[in-house]
Order: sequence, then structure tokens, then C-alpha cells
Amino acid sequence: MINMQPYQNPTYFLYLLVGLLPIMIGLLYGRRFKVYETIISFVFLVLTFGGDKWMQGVSIIGYLICELILIFAYLHYRKSKNSTGVFIGAVVLAILPLVLVKLTPFFAWQHLSLFGFLGISYITFKVVQIVMEIRDGTIKELDFKGVLHFLLFFPTISSGPIDRYRRFIRDYDQAPKQEKYLKLLGKGVFYIFLGFLYKFVLAYLFGVVMLPYVSKMALASGGISKWLVAYMYVYAMDLFFDFAGYSLFAVGTSYVMGIETPMNFNKPFIAHNIKDFWNRWHMTLSFWFRDFIYMRLVFFMMKKKLVKSRITMANIGYLTLFLIMGLWHGLTWYYIVYGFYHAFAIIICDAWLRFKKKHKKQIPSNKFTEIFAIVLTFHVVCFSFLIFSGFLDTLFFR
Amino acid sequence: MKETVLDILANITGDDEVREDLDMELYESGILDSMATVEMLLELQMQCGIEVPVSDFERTEWDTPNKIIAKVESMG
Amino acid sequence: MNVKKALFNIFGPVILAALILITILVMPNSSHKISQKTIYQASLSQSKNIFKGNVVKRAAFEENYVPFLGSSEFSRMDSFHPSSMAIHYDRSYRPFLLGAPGSQSLAQYFGMQGVNAALKGKKAVMVVSPQWFVKKGIETGAFNLYYSNLEAVSWLLHATTSQVDRYAAKRLLTMTAGQNSNLIRKCLAKIADGQELTSFDKTYLKLKYNQLEREDRWFSTLAMNDRIGKIERVADKLPVQEDFSKLDEVAYKMGQKSANNNQFDIYNKFWNKRLKKSWKHLKHKQSHFDYVSSPEFADFELVLNQFKANKMNVIFVIPPVNTKWMAYTGLSQEMLDDFNAKITYQLKSQGFNHIVDLSQDGGVDYFMQDTIHLGWRGWLKMDQAVSPFLSEKQAQPTYHLNKYFFSKEWQKMQGEELSNFLKDK
Repeated sequence: MINMQPYQNPTYFLYLLVGLLPIMIGLLYGRRFKVYETIISFVFLVLTFGGDKWMQGVSIIGYLICELILIFAYLHYRKSKNSTGVFIGAVVLAILPLVLVKLTPFFAWQHLSLFGFLGISYITFKVVQIVMEIRDGTIKELDFKGVLHFLLFFPTISSGPIDRYRRFIRDYDQAPKQEKYLKLLGKGVFYIFLGFLYKFVLAYLFGVVMLPYVSKMALASGGISKWLVAYMYVYAMDLFFDFAGYSLFAVGTSYVMGIETPMNFNKPFIAHNIKDFWNRWHMTLSFWFRDFIYMRLVFFMMKKKLVKSRITMANIGYLTLFLIMGLWHGLTWYYIVYGFYHAFAIIICDAWLRFKKKHKKQIPSNKFTEIFAIVLTFHVVCFSFLIFSGFLDTLFFR
Repeated sequence: MKETVLDILANITGDDEVREDLDMELYESGILDSMATVEMLLELQMQCGIEVPVSDFERTEWDTPNKIIAKVESMG
Repeated sequence: MNVKKALFNIFGPVILAALILITILVMPNSSHKISQKTIYQASLSQSKNIFKGNVVKRAAFEENYVPFLGSSEFSRMDSFHPSSMAIHYDRSYRPFLLGAPGSQSLAQYFGMQGVNAALKGKKAVMVVSPQWFVKKGIETGAFNLYYSNLEAVSWLLHATTSQVDRYAAKRLLTMTAGQNSNLIRKCLAKIADGQELTSFDKTYLKLKYNQLEREDRWFSTLAMNDRIGKIERVADKLPVQEDFSKLDEVAYKMGQKSANNNQFDIYNKFWNKRLKKSWKHLKHKQSHFDYVSSPEFADFELVLNQFKANKMNVIFVIPPVNTKWMAYTGLSQEMLDDFNAKITYQLKSQGFNHIVDLSQDGGVDYFMQDTIHLGWRGWLKMDQAVSPFLSEKQAQPTYHLNKYFFSKEWQKMQGEELSNFLKDK
């Protein structure tokens, strides 16, 4: 049987076009064919997790059964009681499979890697989000089919963007008005084609043509060389265009299906500071971390008056957030350093913003300082990607 | 109610400019951030008795002083 | 109406783009000319895209460019490199270098497939490195570098159910690159299985061929190495008069000047970059190396079959190994002699009689530029045989190929078995 990874080759897009055509026609007439959508989602999931990847298919089914039981059990419980202990237990159980999968390479427990499948992180983010919203009481009812569609929404299954349950269901439960759908369709098609440019032209240029060459030259020069600097830029560009291209496909495809999956990137390289950068880069992930880790933690600390100083509180929040983000990428020193690096960058950024606020009159603010801020932020970010790439590990420790 | 909200905002941001322009972009201009949001929600909870869970907080609905006032009035 | 217009605005450009793309890709190729400058640059580039493509090679072979098939030795561009000599003495031919590290027989065989028509009746030079003939033959990673779907599609369009083609299909299927297109894999499996391709297969292949060759025309020259400046610089150092003893003296002096920082007379730059750090670990490390038993002998037979089919007249060069380096690493001269006897037999018994056997010259001063690659005086000696072969008219050879050379028995034959076999003949 054939296996096809999402958005990898022209054939996939051809299948996508054929599969989505009935949905498009339906939506144009203001109808959403839910049964057909279910069938076509299933077909595309089988394409991704079937064939020689059938082991992943088995994992994802087992994983889903566990998580669904957890979600509905917690919802049932929450209707009558609300103990913090049970809530924490539910969150721990929800992320347990992901933690085990992430630990696998570290301890080389071969049999555990059976658990893993493409996109497990992203489904876990969605599950945790549902559990937290049940706790907050913002989700009071869950529709089984709706949850399944939300978790398994095939355009975003492999790497996001991470949607929110209530937002998704609003779109899914109704068909957009014709006028609105035409706008969505136009944007969707445009995004997919912009994605072609990003992923198949620019990411190819940076990642396949240039990266191996600069990597070879940097390794041959050894240590810190101009080629290492070149590697940093090329890698950053490759990372952006590859991921942004993929995200455009996912968002574009969602739009064609009448679902407004949130955007993942918003011109990240024109960010004015590192805080601004995280509002523009992999936005759905950073917003997820902001809403479900940072803000909750700060809220908790503030309410219980655990820490006096606001600044300390914010900094503890940043360190926690970015350390978890680093660990989530994988258990290697460079991901963890990447996390700390960004935490400190944002702490410094906050300090600077406070300083700037106090000395508003003395500090110039013009076109030149703006460009300087953008260039500086860009380089801070590029260097963080160099850490993230693991290339320094290869260069210095291998 | 309006005054209470503006007091809270001015207090958190340490600046009276929020009183002057009630339609100013609070997030885009960097006046509010996640930290300040949490403070604001806690203050609103204590002073006005309205509960907004963090997961129900949609930035686009709270991004100017006027919107915040409207939001609080609709909930109170 | 409004909806129709909106839909047209959304999909009109997409449909238009798709139509243009399909037309351009599937349309047969126009005979847009490739410039002399491009051909010249390509002939020196050793770029993989040129090796894998059809368009530039075809244009070159229609001119006075002669294919020089080989591998890494061609990048040793000193003044006596075949390209430098041909340019400086304005020979009637120009080498078109086809090969870089890892381009062994199978890669060379498929590399010719798109340009067989242009190679009809041409002369060629092939440098056969003993180092190709390792136990497992060409590694799939190396092969993949020199493989393109264009080569395979070109080949499939003319593939038959002959034993030779079936062998080639089987070999290609063992390479991971041979698996990267469903169409190609299915067609290869048919050929390997002894089935004819259907006319549907052929039509589809033909369309694919047009598309791939179009891409080749557009893209293969984009990122090509430019060595024109380099080769012209080294060529300028040659004496005006082409006189062997004078040239040999210059070659000796050049070698002496640039290979003096190590005990093996290896080119200083190569030594510093590749061996200085590691040479101490290599002592006696090559005593078990064996180039006598290898599937490469059958892959090489494929190449010979293609030479015959194209009615080409080919001169083969068998380079030596640096004797001083051999003594240090423990590489066996006896084993190399066996290789030499085996390959010579495979060539001569089938009517390939033009062989430049340099295998005994590894100890001549400044013959080798480094451990296994010809340099200064080595290039010069090769030129002594190759230049007249290419410049003068040669009698058309008659080849009589023997399927035995595809057999496992021949691939693996070594030691006493080999010497008895060769003695009997």
C-alpha cells in the first residue's frame, strides 16, 4: 500500500485537490458535508500513517483511545468536583506518552519508540489545552466527533499550527457565508502557492543546495570561521522557509476546508525585539506556551503571593517556559541551551524595556534605532538557531 | 466602573497615558504584556468581582481601554 | 455571476500556470544552441549535474570534445593535465572530463545513456582506477550522486530483454536511487524480469523524458564549477615547443618544487589538507586491500558493451599507486599485478587493444601527484599515448564480447584460480 507524507510532493497536492473538490463545492453553496469530510480525513490519515508506516498508525489509534478516555473521564469528573490534585493528575497523564517518546532516544529503550508517531507533540498540545479549559470551566460540553475531528484535523496533523478547540468547533459546526468562503478560498489558494515558493524553491535553495556546502566548508575549516557564520545564516533561512512553507500549506488547506486555522508566522525577521519575535515566530506554539504555561504560572504565583517582585515573577515564568520548550525539542544539551538562551534574551529585553520607559526622554527613537533594533534582534535569533541546529555539537564535540 | 478599570490600568502600567487615549492599542504598543495581563485579571477579580479564566482571555477583545471597560461592564 | 468571477480570479492564474508548465515540460525539446563557452566550462567542471545530464554532453560530443571517462584523478589539474595539454598545444581534440570521486563503471554506464547517439563512432579515453574494484563494488551513496532519473528514462526507452540489459536493470534496482520513482522502478523490474515494456510505458517514459531533459537544459549549467581560469593559468606554464624531453624536465621540476614537505613526494597541498594529521595512523593499514574480486568487473563489462554498441574506439589507462606510499601502507604490489592481469585480459580478449599500462610506474619520480592520482610526469606519459591515439586516424576495431565476464565466477576469480585461468588462455 502507498504511504504519503503530508505536502511532500506534487502528487500529494493532486490528491488533495481531488479530495477537497466536493468540500469546496459544498461550501460554495453554504453546505458542509460532514460525513464526506470524515471519510476524506480518514483517507488522508491512512495515506500518512498506512503503508510501511502502519506501526505509527497502530500507535496513533492506541494513543487516541487513551487520551479520549482521559478527556471524557475528566470532563465527567469536573461536572461534580474540582480538585487541583485530580487536575494535575490529568495533565500529567495527558503528556505522559509524549514524555516517554521524548525520553526514548535518551535512554535508548528500543521498544518504547513504538509509541511514537508523526505529530504526537501537536496532538498532545491540543489534549492538554482541552483538559485545562475543562478545569477553567470554559469548556463545559464536549462533542465526541468534534473532539476527534479537532485532534485529527489532517491538514495540521504533522506539525501544527496548533488550533484551539472552541475556535475550531465554531468553524466546523457551520459553513461560512458564501462571500466569506470565497475570501477564504482565495487566501487559501494564495497561501498554498506562497508555500510552494517557500518550501520548494527557497527552502530547497538554502537547505539542499547551500547548506551541505557551507556545512562541509565549516567542518573543513574547523572552529570559528567565516563558514560557520555563513552556516548560521543559511540554516536560519532554511529553517524559516521550510517551516513557514509547511505552515502555509496547512493553513491554506484549512482555509479551503472553511476552517480558519491560525497563522504560524508573521514576518519574524522584522521583529524589533526578542519579545516581538516570539509574537511572530511559530506563533501558535509560543501562544500556547504563553497561555497555558507562562500566564497560568504567573497567575498562580501572584494569587498565592509566592514571590513579591513582579520582575522576579516574570523571569521565573520565562525560565520555566523556555526550559520546557527546550526540553520539548529533545533531550540534548543544545536544545536546553537554546531554551536558556531565549529565556535570558527575553529577561534582558524586559529589563531594557523598563529602562527605556523610565528614560523615555533621553533615549532617541528614530528610523536608525529601529533598523538597528531589527538587525540586532535578527542576529540574536540567528545565533540561537545555530545553537538549535546542533551543528556546534558536531563541530566541537564529535 | 469605568474609573475603577482605568485606575487599575494606570496602576499596572505605572502611567496615566491610558486615561488620555481610550482607544490606544495596549498590546501592540507594548504597554500591556502577559505579565500585566495576569495582574489586570487578578485586580479585576478582586476589585470588580469578575472572573476571567486565563484560557478564556482573547487578546483581541481586550486590546484597548475602551474594549476592556465594555468587557467588564458586560460581565459585571 | 459574481461567484463565477470570484472563482475565476482565484483559480484562473493557477490553471494558467499549470497549463504553461505542462506545455513547456511535455513539449519536445527545441534545438536551442548551447554556447561554446558553456561547453568549454562544462568540459572542465566535473560537475555532477553535467555528468547526469544529456544536453551539454550531447552538444559537446557533436564538436571536437572527446569523453574522458574516469574519476577523481581529473581534478589534479597541473600543467600536464590532459585538458591543459590539449589547450596549450591546440590539439585537434578537447577532453570533456566525465568523472569525479566515486564515478565508477556503473555510473559511467548510465551516464552515457542519454548521449549514445552523439557518441556513435567517437573515440574515448577511460581511466580505470584499481580502487573501483573493491569487494562490494560501487557504493549506493556514491552511485546516487551521479545518477539522475533522466539517465534511467533514457536507458529504459531503448532497453530490451537482452541479458545485458537485464543485468543493468538488476544492478540499478540494487541502488537506492533506482527506487526513487515509481514509474522507473516498475519499468526496471519488468526489464530485470525479462518482460518487454508496454507501449503505454514507453509513451509515459517519453513524456517524462521530455520533462527531465527540459529541466536538464534549464538547470544543469546553473551551478557549474568554473575551472577555465585555473586550467589556462597552469597551461600557460608549459613551454612553447612541444618536445618530450623538455616537457619531462619541466614536469620533473614542477613536481620537485611542489612536493617536498613529506617523504612520499606527495603534492604539498594535498599532504597538508588530507594526510598530515592522519598519515601516522595509516601505516600497514592497507595490506588487506583487495581489488581483484569485485562485482565492478561485471559493471565494467556493461561499459564495454556500450562502447561496442556505440562503435566507439576507446583507449584505456591503468594508473599505478605511489610506490613509496604503498610500501608504507602495506598495499600489495602482487595484488595490483593480479588486478592488472585480470582487467587486461577482460579488455584484450574482447578486442579492446588500446591500453596504456602505467601500473609499473608508481615509483618514477613525480609520476604521481599524491597517493593514487596521476600528476606531472604521469599525466605526461599518459599524454604520450593518448594524444597520438586521438589525433591520428585509427583502424576501426572489431570487438567480440563474451557474456562470461558478467558471471559471478569471473567477478570473484582471484589468486591461483585466476593465474591458472589466465595461463590456459
